[in-house]
Amino acid sequence: MIKPVRLALLITATLLVTACATTQKKYAWGTYDHSLYVYYKDPATAAALAQSLQATISAAEKTNAIVGPGIYAEYGYLLLQQGNPTAAIDAFRKEASLWPESKVFMDHMIQAASGPPRKAAASG
Amino acid sequence: MQNISVRLLGLTVLLVLGGCVTAPPKANFTQFRTENPHSILVVPAINKSVDVNAPDYFLATISEPLAERGYYVFPVNMVRSVLADDGLNDANLVHSGDPKRLGELFGADAIMYISIEKWEAKYVVLSTTVTVELNYTLKSSHTGAELWHNHQVVNYQPQAANSGGGIAALIADAISAAMTKAAPNYVPLAQQANAQAINTKGTGLPAGPHDALYLKDSQDF
Repeated sequence: MIKPVRLALLITATLLVTACATTQKKYAWGTYDHSLYVYYKDPATAAALAQSLQATISAAEKTNAIVGPGIYAEYGYLLLQQGNPTAAIDAFRKEASLWPESKVFMDHMIQAASGPPRKAAASG
Repeated sequence: MQNISVRLLGLTVLLVLGGCVTAPPKANFTQFRTENPHSILVVPAINKSVDVNAPDYFLATISEPLAERGYYVFPVNMVRSVLADDGLNDANLVHSGDPKRLGELFGADAIMYISIEKWEAKYVVLSTTVTVELNYTLKSSHTGAELWHNHQVVNYQPQAANSGGGIAALIADAISAAMTKAAPNYVPLAQQANAQAINTKGTGLPAGPHDALYLKDSQDF
């Protein structure tokens, strides 16, 4: 049998623990932070980073979730570095339509990607 | 027994009422509220530690907490690459530059400048202390004014010297210290520092435009 005081203690302790718990996330991030970390640890894994971003995007689109700000753009930039400006522009457009705050930057990037290929495609 | 339970209950009730942390004095948000930034451009961090990888590893941790607070956060890796392509791969140069110029270039409302003060593991006898210390400064890219500042120090000490004692515990501590020294994991510390800097009532960032509490949290910020 649980004494009332013990029960009250248990309830408040539970409240204490859950009060500080992280709230529901607004966006789908997939493994963005970890994949970026792995990429910085070994820049040769750029393709793996692009793949993980693509997986995050397609999983979110299937479930009508919203990917975090910057995810489409990051993916697009990796596509551009891989020499696929058409797919890159598509990703930049998605970023701009989902996040109007990015429009200036995305327009700039779309323009750059539409022009002749840039010589420094691999830095970074 | 009953007595202890009652006392414990009193203590936990106090803790619940007190919330997660005792609130530090409220920062001045006048300029922040006037400018009301919607988007944040995080530029690569200045590194004052000896770990050359610290700025990149840190960069991987900062987007999520800022975006979840309700702001548009520019793609950090893309921004880093674009700046480097433009000859701006020196973070010190970017930080000393004009925030208004960066703002025009990217269409950002505010620029987040972070300085890594410490990113280190100190080996003392049988235990290691891992420390991450960061300074955050948010500047307006419209006026150049400082909108927000925060400072965080987070320490981590792997469960040293709290085990049962004896030679087995000493060996366990030594192994734990050696492993931490070989590959200290700073990322969770950076994440904790970011969360404390951004989400603490009174000193963190007010809820951004994509948050339900946007412009409704003026008593806290």
